[in-house]
Amino acid sequence: MPPRPRRPRPLSVVGTSPPRLEGAAKVAGTARYVDDLEFPGLLLGRTIRSTVPRGELLGWSMGRRPRGLHVVSAADIPGRNAIALLEPDQPCLVRREIRHAAEPVLLLAHEDRDALASVAVELRERPRKAQLDVRASRSFCKEILIEKGNLSRGFARADRIVEGEYTTGHQEQLYVETQGVIAVPEKDGVTIYGSLQCPYYVQKALVELLSLPPERVRIIQVETGGGFGGKEEYPSMIAGHAALLALKSGRPVKLVYDRSEDMLATTKRHPSIVRHKTGVRRDGSLTAMQIDVLLDAGAYVTLSPVVLSRGVLHAAGPYRCEDVQILGRAAMTNTPPNGAFRGFGAPQTQFAVEVHMERIAEALGIDPLELRRRNALRPGDTTATGQRLGADCSALPCLESAVRRSRFVARRRAIEKHNAKARVSGGPLRGIGLALFFHGSGFTGAGEVKLASRAALELTPTGARILVASTEIGQGTRTILSQIVAEELGWPLSRIEVADPDTREVPDSGPTVASRTCMIVGEILRRCAQSLKRALGRMTPRQYLAKNGPLVVTEQYDRPKSMHWDDVHYRGDAYGAYGYGCDVIELEIDPVTAEVRPAEVTAVQDIGRAIHPVLAAGQIEGGTAQGIAFALAEEVVMRDGRMANAQLTNYAVPTPLDTPPMQVEILEFPYGHGPFGAKGVGEMPIDGPSPAVVNALRHAGLDIRDIPAVPERIAGLVDSMRGAAT
Amino acid sequence: MKRFEFVEASSLAQAAKLAAQPNGAVRAGGIDLMDLQKEHLAEPDRVISIRRVPGAAEIREEGGALVIGPLVTLAQLASHPVALAKWKAVAVAAGEAASPQVRNQATVIGNLLQRPRCWYFRNELLQCARKGGPDCLSQEGENRYHAIFENKDCAIVHASNVSPAAMLFDGSVKTVKADGSRREIPLAKLFVKPEVDITKEHVLEAGEVVEALVLPAKAGGDHSSFLAAREKSAFDWPLFSLAVRLEMSGNVVKAAQIVFGAAAPTPLRREKAEAALVGKAIDEATARAAAALCFEDATPMTQNGYKVAMGTALTARAILAAV
Ligand SMILES: Cc1cc2nc3c(=O)[nH]c(=O)nc-3n(C[C@H](O)[C@H](O)[C@H](O)COP(=O)(O)OP(=O)(O)OC[C@H]3O[C@@H](n4cnc5c(N)ncnc54)[C@H](O)[C@@H]3O)c2cc1C
Repeated sequence: MPPRPRRPRPLSVVGTSPPRLEGAAKVAGTARYVDDLEFPGLLLGRTIRSTVPRGELLGWSMGRRPRGLHVVSAADIPGRNAIALLEPDQPCLVRREIRHAAEPVLLLAHEDRDALASVAVELRERPRKAQLDVRASRSFCKEILIEKGNLSRGFARADRIVEGEYTTGHQEQLYVETQGVIAVPEKDGVTIYGSLQCPYYVQKALVELLSLPPERVRIIQVETGGGFGGKEEYPSMIAGHAALLALKSGRPVKLVYDRSEDMLATTKRHPSIVRHKTGVRRDGSLTAMQIDVLLDAGAYVTLSPVVLSRGVLHAAGPYRCEDVQILGRAAMTNTPPNGAFRGFGAPQTQFAVEVHMERIAEALGIDPLELRRRNALRPGDTTATGQRLGADCSALPCLESAVRRSRFVARRRAIEKHNAKARVSGGPLRGIGLALFFHGSGFTGAGEVKLASRAALELTPTGARILVASTEIGQGTRTILSQIVAEELGWPLSRIEVADPDTREVPDSGPTVASRTCMIVGEILRRCAQSLKRALGRMTPRQYLAKNGPLVVTEQYDRPKSMHWDDVHYRGDAYGAYGYGCDVIELEIDPVTAEVRPAEVTAVQDIGRAIHPVLAAGQIEGGTAQGIAFALAEEVVMRDGRMANAQLTNYAVPTPLDTPPMQVEILEFPYGHGPFGAKGVGEMPIDGPSPAVVNALRHAGLDIRDIPAVPERIAGLVDSMRGAAT
Repeated sequence: MKRFEFVEASSLAQAAKLAAQPNGAVRAGGIDLMDLQKEHLAEPDRVISIRRVPGAAEIREEGGALVIGPLVTLAQLASHPVALAKWKAVAVAAGEAASPQVRNQATVIGNLLQRPRCWYFRNELLQCARKGGPDCLSQEGENRYHAIFENKDCAIVHASNVSPAAMLFDGSVKTVKADGSRREIPLAKLFVKPEVDITKEHVLEAGEVVEALVLPAKAGGDHSSFLAAREKSAFDWPLFSLAVRLEMSGNVVKAAQIVFGAAAPTPLRREKAEAALVGKAIDEATARAAAALCFEDATPMTQNGYKVAMGTALTARAILAAV
């Protein structure tokens, strides 16, 4: 038996669900987003983009230029023409080489929208043969090998070997507010107001691009209408563009994309091809897992190496196996670069392993539930990188709870009976599917140590102000960080304020990504609160300030002593903590129209500790809806290297009516180094739905291994199923 | 979007006069017009709103016909008790369109006159045949959402939910022109096939304003149905849609009308299947046989063959639902 999770002390603020701090302003429409901001002398920006997926830019010509038009090309870049992130390969503006369609070439600015739109620009491009097929690409920007045990030994012990290939498509983040920034030229630098996730990423990029010292590049995040990873790296690009125009014109410049431009030009989820070869014993135990992961990086490196890293680290799923080999590669193609998107590689690889598990059960003729029970990770087991899991490893409790709540076994039997009749009558079919998954919180391996994030608390006369660069993008950052601080100080929530993320005011608490804000930044802030409490002693804030003057306490990320990571061999503790989850999804399938309707969803997820249960459940519901759509609806149609359906009328995202009723259960297996036991919750919910949906389709008789399984694809399968039946 | 002047007309005749001047556009709910403006597919210099025109938001019964004014919204029609009783398919079609937010703003007449959703047409960067370019780009391109009938020159599908249902009742529109003259155009003559003029969807002249949609009463109005298949449950146009009206005598069909919506560039009557239903009692088998007849002349494209199977099933269901 695993040791029982320790019962934490009773809490008064953490674990309650107060209204979101910025909620009222958003509901009332008084929250101001980038496009709402005005500055005297504001110019509007426009981006001229390449039309071919690969080629050379030979030159450009411009029709009539309205008076007051500003033009920026690569030649105007004062610093290095590259977006600084992992590799300096992506230019801010094309100089000569074009590597993908919709690549930025020229920037225009004018104060009048119509005048700006009326400028006709002709690019002279010499097209070259583009690589649009990721399987054919031989250019890899990253390879990762994970080895555990001895693969041939594992296969030798197997009774059966099951192989399969699984693919997933692009997915668009589809934040409601499109990408947008305003750049304001200052006496000796520039200030950016932007819709973004990571102020310090933007600062780092602009420092290189503009050749300015960091203190002269000020980044301020304004209210942001969603990110989902899409505002992790791209804001560096658009902010660079606006800054170049602002510095050249000497006036503030606003650059806000419309939906089509946003969909055409910005990053998406990496398409994936994952192959599994698995050795299993007759009783279902896994003896060997050989996994090959291929991601389509697109035309530039952006964040692909780290997306690949998270992808391979989750590729074996939450399962125990002694002999494992995982090879991951990210290949370059001439399509717009793919990048960060909620889940960051894990949804792709866990789709593959969970659908593969279902096929293993089928091949062995055993119950898929039993197969998972037998192999699920338990406390004390090791992952593919050899990380030994602690008492908070909750794969089995998640599985059992989801099975119980959804009445999985009874429903499965009832559906099989129903389908036997429906196959004769031609009526709607049903299917029920399950997926077990996990998700590492925080940066991978040594990432958090390298980031060395800092957070601070400033004493105010009435309480404390939080100083972090972690951004509110709709997920509730401000509220939950305030709850953590209030709890530690023993104060009511109303005494805590949150400073706007402004690089001049707040320390670098790292990017708002990787399910790290609550667990990592929250814990640093909790320690700040501890120090503040100690400093205050029995004084009130007002007394302290009167006596000692201002007080700001700053703390830095502190690696748990037991954590070790070898980045060369990919061995050791890949993440500080893992959340676990199990989704059960029931579908109804119209065999004639091929419409698939998710009918019921049960989502059970262990997030260590729900700081704000309503917001946490909201993350789970939203991520689940997005994950179902990843499996069934959202299809990025690529034609000649560009998105052909870059419009919301053709790219189908689910509406509330498409979202099934969900039963959400939050389990709390606390993590010792997270604030009050919290792990991450932002990304995990999107890992489970796509395999659960596809396993439900499989239960109804449809063999799907590629998603999105849009109706046209399902229609073909239904036809062949009918053909086989007659 | 191009800058424009916004004026509010006090009467429909005045709106017609203003709209007839070069580059004017009438705006009712503004849902489609705004979209077209944002995508630079319509660039009016002057937008003439009719929202202040007195009495324009009324639904009346006149001599047995239902008369729908130019500011009547889809939501209003969808919940109108008389429409639901006697012009059932029309009310249902209005209630199935778009989303609750859109239905509260969008007008019924604007719905008839909306422009197609073809993704080549709606993409401002592309010159398709409908926008004066040389080719219909869907022929060799992405055509999963396109027409399965009459699709050789241009493969748009008719976008309106309301029009196939309104055609069941031999509906017509009454209009006023810039010179003050009035005419009545049956819906069967309102919509333009690509082979006649590929650049427009209806015969209204510049500045001609619709004053009302008139739906005569018909036997079997309560035996009428509208069905659509969509990818999403809201905020989406149909992949396929149709309306059916049956005049029954006991359990035998006396007369039938079947009109397809999102299947061809204009609403499409299916006379052969209508004739086949007459004199028959409706059961699964007759419904399926009639449905199959409807698709004999289908010419699916490279990616939309699925619409034939889907459409056949929906047609049979709509016939059964109309009984
Ligand atoms: C997300 C979304 C989903 C949708 N889904 C559906 C759907 O499923 N089914 C469906 O049928 N529709 C659907 N629609 C379309 C919507 O119903 C129409 O755009 C709307 O009904 C148009 O009405 P309106 O009053 O806003 O027209 P406007 O935009 O004001 O006008 C549309 C056109 O008609 C002209 N016009 C309007 N009134 C008159 C008049 N009285 N005389 C002369 N010309 C006039 C205008 O000049 C303009 O060219 C959808 C729209 C959206 C945004």
